[in-house]
Amino acid sequence: MNNSSTDPLTRVRGAYSSASDSVRDRWSDAPGWARWLVYLILIVVALVLPADGIGNVMSPYTDWPTLLFFPIGGYILLAIGLNVVVGQAGLLDLGYVAFFAIGGYTMAVFGVKFGWSFWEILFAGVILSALSGIILGAPTLRLRGDYLAIVTLGFGEIVRITANNTDYIGGPNGIGGIPHPPTLTEWMIPENGFFDSLGLGGVSPFKYGALDGKPYYYLMLVLIVLAIIFVKRLENSRVGRAWASIREDEDAAELMGVPTFKFKLAAFAIGAAIGGATGVMYGSQAVSIIPTNFPFILSATILAAVVLGGSGNLPGVILGAFLVAWIPERIRGLAEYRILVFGGVLVLLMAFRPEGLLPSRRRKAELAEGTGGMGTMGAEIGGPVTVTAGEVKE
Amino acid sequence: MLLEIKDIHVHYGKIAALKGVSVDVDEGEIVTLIGANGAGKSTTLKTISGLRPLSAGRIVFAGRDISKVAGHKRVLMGIGQAPEGRGIFPGMTVTENLFMGAYARKGNVAKDLKEVFDLFPRLAERKDQAGGTMSGGEQQMLAIGRALMTQPKVLLLDEPSMGLAPKLIQQIFSIIEEINRRGTTVLLVEQNAQQALQIAHRAYVLETGSVVKSAEARALLDDPQVRAAYLGGGAAPAI
Repeated sequence: MNNSSTDPLTRVRGAYSSASDSVRDRWSDAPGWARWLVYLILIVVALVLPADGIGNVMSPYTDWPTLLFFPIGGYILLAIGLNVVVGQAGLLDLGYVAFFAIGGYTMAVFGVKFGWSFWEILFAGVILSALSGIILGAPTLRLRGDYLAIVTLGFGEIVRITANNTDYIGGPNGIGGIPHPPTLTEWMIPENGFFDSLGLGGVSPFKYGALDGKPYYYLMLVLIVLAIIFVKRLENSRVGRAWASIREDEDAAELMGVPTFKFKLAAFAIGAAIGGATGVMYGSQAVSIIPTNFPFILSATILAAVVLGGSGNLPGVILGAFLVAWIPERIRGLAEYRILVFGGVLVLLMAFRPEGLLPSRRRKAELAEGTGGMGTMGAEIGGPVTVTAGEVKE
Repeated sequence: MLLEIKDIHVHYGKIAALKGVSVDVDEGEIVTLIGANGAGKSTTLKTISGLRPLSAGRIVFAGRDISKVAGHKRVLMGIGQAPEGRGIFPGMTVTENLFMGAYARKGNVAKDLKEVFDLFPRLAERKDQAGGTMSGGEQQMLAIGRALMTQPKVLLLDEPSMGLAPKLIQQIFSIIEEINRRGTTVLLVEQNAQQALQIAHRAYVLETGSVVKSAEARALLDDPQVRAAYLGGGAAPAI
């Protein structure tokens, strides 16, 4: 028998859980100005984050600003996008890397072959990846649970293998010589005592060169903030309520008059658009991309970030993505034991917090009910939405 | 007729779940479908509300053929369903669940909310509690209340007594009668034939995907065959 009052793991979990609950309650009761103050502090922290002093502690083995751009910033943006699909609409997508790849290749093809500028390509990449989300979703979103997961997994592989076998986009050699974003201004952070002490003196935050990672990080930060605002507004809207109902019980949602298929498609398109934007960003810094930049394991890693952080809760998802991106780099000194330790940390975190590091209250209730916290994952081939003409014999 | 189901066939893959079921529901009635497990009762309801596609036959609602209308559009036309196994939204509070019932329509929601709380005072007491943390009976009340929030012309109830204590079953059935008295037509699917036949006007008996009998509910209560098969009386020991 497991006595809960003496079991140390249970006790630690209980203490952590009540601490995170009380923070969440305080947050939901906090007045508007207090929230804005917190947002402001977070943004200031994010702005000084690339400073050398912080980098020496956080990343002794790799260039910290570059690391902040990718994988950390990139994973966070990808996790925000995947969270729309998995966390909000409850659709298990195992091929999310496909949209990241489509964004990356959009940057490469339009930048190298057509000479478009980064900003034009960013726009095109978002549109193209959203379209590919709809193309993938339209035939497959009639499937549920595990079946959908398998089809999306296949899509991720198809995109990578197609890129590998298409000569126009370089096949296995990929595309090189991708242009950086155009410099917005040569303006330089003044080199005075204050900024020098932060390690930011003399940085040109809007000049996108080959060496300094900081400008790319700031650009990624802008995209992340925009994505957060966009997704948060959706979450609190009619669309967000429709997604929540689909995640919790798709049949019941349809019975409430929610056009479930349309909203699932919208979730796919929005998630894909954010993934595509990340891909364009990534391509604009990387100079060259190859198909193996977009392996299945990246889909799995981003999904792990979402689940680890607390599927459906934005701060949790961001924290999860940060940890999943940062831990393997922080422990680079362990050489070949690195991935072993990383796996061990993930296992420990999930044993300690099966519902994620920062789950939403609603998600906790869903888990308690037994839907597994990932929506109605019931493996059922449902044709619930529309009756196509061919199916009805008069 | 408010709702006419004409010879519908439904398949799960190659297995026929319904082999030509015809049911009529007139305005103001309580009609019940009784039958054993797997007879096709729930499938019939799901087909009416649009969760299952039909392979043949027609469903006519208020004079309009809705066989090809998507499920979420049938809600606005006036078909409300409380799903089987209390398919409520577990992570939403009672109030949020009820508001989902009014998701698709415009108009005065507050008045309907008050009516539901009137009918189920228990839900008013628990209005900020997460649906998934409530008892079985409360979840059933919530499922019915949520269906009422869609302002249905016909209310489809799928096994409302499933898994409930006898006293609660009594309570739920008297509320169903009350809902009917207030003007909502009810199509009730039940394994608890005794209770269902007592409140219904007419009844259909389903066996392996076909209607084998239909009559006034009262008449079926006295029918020796039905008594033997579904009411636990008569000579045969079958339940």
